[in-house]
Amino acid sequence: MTDLVRAGAAVTVAGGESLLEVRGVSKAFGPTEALVDVDFDVRAGEIHALVGQNGSGKSTLVKILAGVYDPDGGSIAAEGSEFDPRRPGEARLRGLRFVHQDLGLVDSLDVVENLALGRGYDVRFPRRISWRHERHRTRAALAELGYDLDVRSLVGSLRASERSGIAIARALDGWESAARLLVLDEPTASLPEAEVARLFDVIRTIRARGVGVIYVSHHLDEVLDLADRVTILRDGARVGTFAADDLDHDRMVELIVGRGSVIAGGEAETPGAPAEYEPSLVVEDLSGTVLRGVSLQVGAGEVVGVAGLTGSGREELGPALFGAAGRSGSVSVRGNPVPAGRPDLAVAAGLGFVPADRKSLGLVASMVVRENVTLADLRPYLRGGILRHRKERSDVDAWLGMLDVRPRNQTLGTMRLSGGNQQKVLLARWLRIQPRVLVLDEPTQGVDVGAKAEIHRRITDAARDGAGVLVCSTDSAELVRVCDRVLVMQRGGIGAELLGRDISEERIDRLCLS
Amino acid sequence: MDRLSGIYIWGLIILIFALWVPETFLTTTTLRVLASDQAVTGMVAVGLVVPLACGVFDLSIGHVLGFTLVAATWMNVNTGINMAVVTLMMVAIGVAVGLANALLVVKIGVNSFIATLAMSSILQAFILFVSNNRQIAGEFSDEFKSFGRNVVLGLPQPFFYLLGLTLIIWFVLEYTRSGRYAYATGGNPAAARLAGVRTDRFVTVSLIVSAAVAAFAGVVLAAKLGSASLTAGPPKLIPAYTAVFLGSTQIKRGRINAWGTLVAVYLLATGVKGLQLSGTEVWVDDLFNGVTLALAVGIAVYRRRGDSPGGLAP
Repeated sequence: MTDLVRAGAAVTVAGGESLLEVRGVSKAFGPTEALVDVDFDVRAGEIHALVGQNGSGKSTLVKILAGVYDPDGGSIAAEGSEFDPRRPGEARLRGLRFVHQDLGLVDSLDVVENLALGRGYDVRFPRRISWRHERHRTRAALAELGYDLDVRSLVGSLRASERSGIAIARALDGWESAARLLVLDEPTASLPEAEVARLFDVIRTIRARGVGVIYVSHHLDEVLDLADRVTILRDGARVGTFAADDLDHDRMVELIVGRGSVIAGGEAETPGAPAEYEPSLVVEDLSGTVLRGVSLQVGAGEVVGVAGLTGSGREELGPALFGAAGRSGSVSVRGNPVPAGRPDLAVAAGLGFVPADRKSLGLVASMVVRENVTLADLRPYLRGGILRHRKERSDVDAWLGMLDVRPRNQTLGTMRLSGGNQQKVLLARWLRIQPRVLVLDEPTQGVDVGAKAEIHRRITDAARDGAGVLVCSTDSAELVRVCDRVLVMQRGGIGAELLGRDISEERIDRLCLS
Repeated sequence: MDRLSGIYIWGLIILIFALWVPETFLTTTTLRVLASDQAVTGMVAVGLVVPLACGVFDLSIGHVLGFTLVAATWMNVNTGINMAVVTLMMVAIGVAVGLANALLVVKIGVNSFIATLAMSSILQAFILFVSNNRQIAGEFSDEFKSFGRNVVLGLPQPFFYLLGLTLIIWFVLEYTRSGRYAYATGGNPAAARLAGVRTDRFVTVSLIVSAAVAAFAGVVLAAKLGSASLTAGPPKLIPAYTAVFLGSTQIKRGRINAWGTLVAVYLLATGVKGLQLSGTEVWVDDLFNGVTLALAVGIAVYRRRGDSPGGLAP
C-alpha cells in the first residue's frame, strides 16, 4: 500500500528520493480536531509549501514533526524507516532541522556565538575555545548561503534578512549528522518586502544542495514563486498536494477557503445600506512599524472588525491606537485627541483596550481577581481618598455574576482561572468603566466555546449601550458574528471594507489573501 | 493561619529564651533595648517596602542613612542650627537622592539595581568627605539627644516613629488608589501601564520615599548614638532586605507589606538578642538571620509553587 502511494506520488512531480513520509496523521485537542488523517511527503531537493488559513492545521503538523505534540494516530517515516519525533534528539539525528518564526536568536550575542548555540564549540587543550577557528567556521557556513558579514557583530544589530540567514545557517550546520530536511515556519512574517528576495535566494541555494525544504506560509505569491509542490490544508484535513506549476493565485485561494466560491475578484458588489453613526473614534493617517497611513472611523454603537494576515498590520493597530506602541498620526475619541505613548490619557479620553496577550499585557498575575477587575478605575470606591473595600467587593461580585465568571470568587489569584474566565475578567475591567470606544485584540483567543459566546454577547451589548467597538481578530467567523462592518488589512493599510450582508467568512478570507 | 506563622514563631522564640535564660531575657531592659535598637533598621526596612512593592530595588538606603548620620552629627557639633531644621534638611537630601535615583531608573532606563548601587558608592564618597574620614563626636544639644533617646510609655521614642511610619505606609498601600497602583506596577508594569497606570510616576515616588525615610532614620540614629560612626549606615542594608522578604510571607502572604516587615524585624531581632544573652558565639547572629530568611521564603515559595498570587521577589 505504502509502496503504491509512493510510486503514485513520484509520477506527479519528478524529484529526488523521499526524505519524509507522513501517513494518516491525526491530532485532536479536546473536542477540536486539529489534524484529520493527513498525508504529506517531502523529497530531496524540493521546496514543498504547506499552506492554509489560521487554524487549518499547518502549525500543528510542524509541531508534530518537531516533537512538540504526540500524534493521536498515523505513521511518520524518514528515508524509509520509522521515525518518532518524540524521542529526544531523534529529529536532529535524522537530519530534520527547524527554523521557527521567532528564529530563536540571542540578540546580545554575536554571530559566532549564536551559531554555536546548541552545537557547542570545538575546543583545544585545555578546553580552550579557539575564536579564530570558530570565526572561520562561521564565515564558511554563512558564505555557503551567500552571506558575507562581520561575524563579530551582535545579532541584535543586524538586518532582518541577515538574522533569518543566521538562523538558517545554524539549522543547517552539521552537528551529529548533515541536514537533510529544513522546516521554515513563516520565515517572511517579520521581513520587509525588499529583503524577501534575498531570503529566497538562500532557500534556493539550499535546495540546490539536495536538501528538502518544508515552507510554511500564507503568502500565496511567495509560495507560487518559490515552491515545487504545494500541500493545502483546510480545517485540519488535506485538500490536496499539487505541483506549483499547476496552480495560480485564484485557484489557490479557492482551495484554501473552500466553499465552492462564486465571486471572482472578491470585491463586494452590493454594499448593504451603511447605517448612520455619530463618530466615536476617528483615526487619521496612523503609521507605525508596518502600518502606513491608516485612517478609519468607528461610530457610537457600531462594531467594526479588523481582519488581516499576520504581518498585515492587524496586530499592530490596537496597541498603536491606544498609545501602547510607537506611532504617528492622530487618534481622537469624541473629539478628544489621544496622544501617542500615554495609555493613561487614552483611558481618560474614554478608550478601553483588551490586548491580545492577556498574560503579559493584560492581567497582573500577582493580584487577585477583584484587583484586576477594578484596576482601570478606582474612583467609584474612593471616599475622601480612602478605598472602600466593601463597595469594591460588592461591585466586582456583580460583574463576575453578570459575565458568568467561574468560580465566582474574587479573592482567587487571577492566573488560577481558565483562559476564558481570565478573558472575562479583563473584559469586565473595561466594560465596568463604560468606555466610549472599546478596542479588542483577539478577544476570544484560547477561550472555550461557552465563554466565547458570552464575550460576543457582551461586545454586542456594549455597542447597543452606545460604545464604539473595534474588534481585531484572525477568527473570521467571529467577525461575521459580531461586526456591522469589517476592514481588511493588507500590507499595512486598509485594503478593503465589507458592510452588513456582504460580510461573510469566505469574503474576509479571500480579501486577506489578495 | 499560614499568614501569621511569623507571629507564632516569634512567640516560640520568646518562649525558648524565656526558659533558657529567664533572668536576663524576660526583663524590661531587654524589651527596651530591643525596641530601641531595631527602630532604625525597622524604619529603613519599612521605607524599603515601597520601592519593592513597585518592583524596583533601592540599594542606596544604607548609604543614605550613613550620610545623614554623619551630616546631622557634623551640623550639630559645628553649627548652631535648630534641630528641626537639621532634620528637614536631611530629609530634603534624602528626597534629592531619591530623585536622582529615579532620574537614572525612569528617565534614562538604567536598571534600578545598578543605578542605586552607583548611588551608594557616590554617597560613600560624600560620607568620607564630610567626616574627613574621622569619627565625629562632640557636645549635642539636649533637644537633639531627646529626639533619639526620650522614653514614652516605657518605650524609646524612635520605636513610635517606626510604628507611625508602618501605619502610614500600610494605610497608603492598602487603602488608597496609589497603593493599588503601586502593587500593580510591581506585579506587571506593562499590564499596569495599559490599564492607565502611570507606572513611571509610581517608581519615581517610591524611590523618593525609601531614600527620605532612610535619611530620617539617619538623623534618629545620630541622636541616639550621640556621635557619628562612619560605618554604621551601610550594614543596615542586608537586615532591611531580609526583613522585607521575610515579611512578605506574613500578614498579606506573597505580597510585600509594611506590617509583615515590622513583624519580621522584631522576630529576627528577638532571636538574635536571645542568642546573645545565652552567651553564644558572635557569628551565630548572622547565621540566624540568614537561615531564617532562606527557610521562611523557601518554604513559602515551595508551598505556592505554580500557584498564585505569587512572586516574592520584585
